[in-house]
Amino acid sequence: MNIALRIFLVVGAVIVFAMVIRKIRKSEMQASDSVFWLLFAGSFVLIALIPQIAFVVSDWLGFDSPSNFVFLFVIAILFIKAFTLSADVARLRQKVVALTQEIALREKR
Amino acid sequence: MKTLAIIPAYNEEESIVDTVEELKALAPQIDYVIVNDGSKDNTLAVCQEHGYNVLNLPVNVGLTGGFQAGMKYAWENGYDFAVQFDADGQHRPEFIQKMVDAAIDQHADIVIGSRFVTEKKQASARMTGSALISGMIKLTTGKRINDPTSGMRLYDRNMIKRFISESDFGPEPDTVAYLIRRGANVVEVQADMRERSAGESYLSFSKSISYMMRTCMSILFVQWFR
Repeated sequence: MNIALRIFLVVGAVIVFAMVIRKIRKSEMQASDSVFWLLFAGSFVLIALIPQIAFVVSDWLGFDSPSNFVFLFVIAILFIKAFTLSADVARLRQKVVALTQEIALREKR
Repeated sequence: MKTLAIIPAYNEEESIVDTVEELKALAPQIDYVIVNDGSKDNTLAVCQEHGYNVLNLPVNVGLTGGFQAGMKYAWENGYDFAVQFDADGQHRPEFIQKMVDAAIDQHADIVIGSRFVTEKKQASARMTGSALISGMIKLTTGKRINDPTSGMRLYDRNMIKRFISESDFGPEPDTVAYLIRRGANVVEVQADMRERSAGESYLSFSKSISYMMRTCMSILFVQWFR
């Protein structure tokens, strides 16, 4: 895992931190939502500072190169996030529909 | 038997008056409710002007949620049957009573106003889609539905109850397939339909494709895990 990737991970983490803090300041993100992104950025820093983690895990799983493992790790986490967001949106849509129907029905009662 | 025609309307200011007037003239024994699904045009104003019975959804929620709102209204007001009736003039009111009679005589839970009970399907792209959906329903339920995409469907009170308690029950062929598998008795009654009198068809080419994909996926896969 070369120095460029490590620097890139740290820079990426700093940008994520900055974006999260900005959203929290503007009250556009709640503490519970920020946890995921802060942990995600934290994992970037951890891998950049202690690349041995990536070496050990990629050795153990049989990856050719630790950077491949890092990429897969990031993709996997983001995939899970996209999936849970899709489920969240479906749940929110259900609530909006139910509320909209309720407003209409109340007008008629 | 109290019967309610549920008329989902999204931007239907041009055709809603003709549709409702015809319904009142040809099927005066049938009650109706227009579900204004957050229309951006003057559908609501036109309906109020004429003193029509409107259920007004403040934002657009789509056909599934809009129709479900009509079903909730039917349930709360004690209707025995509810029929989906298009606002664009495709459906003809004189067939509603025949559908109700069929529901009573044949103890049906769902009656489909079908274009192809006595008539044959003509060959066209749309009818190929219809035939494909028929085939899938036959495959998964063993029952032949000649006109699965007909929007004119009558539901009895048990079905109304099911529609109001499920969140993903669209008035679509996949729901019919699911209900058949759950033991619903579905019959078809010949009902002629017109071409749309106003507005553009809901199904453009890309929408047709995604409609087919969604319907196929739902009948062949999603429904088994409900």
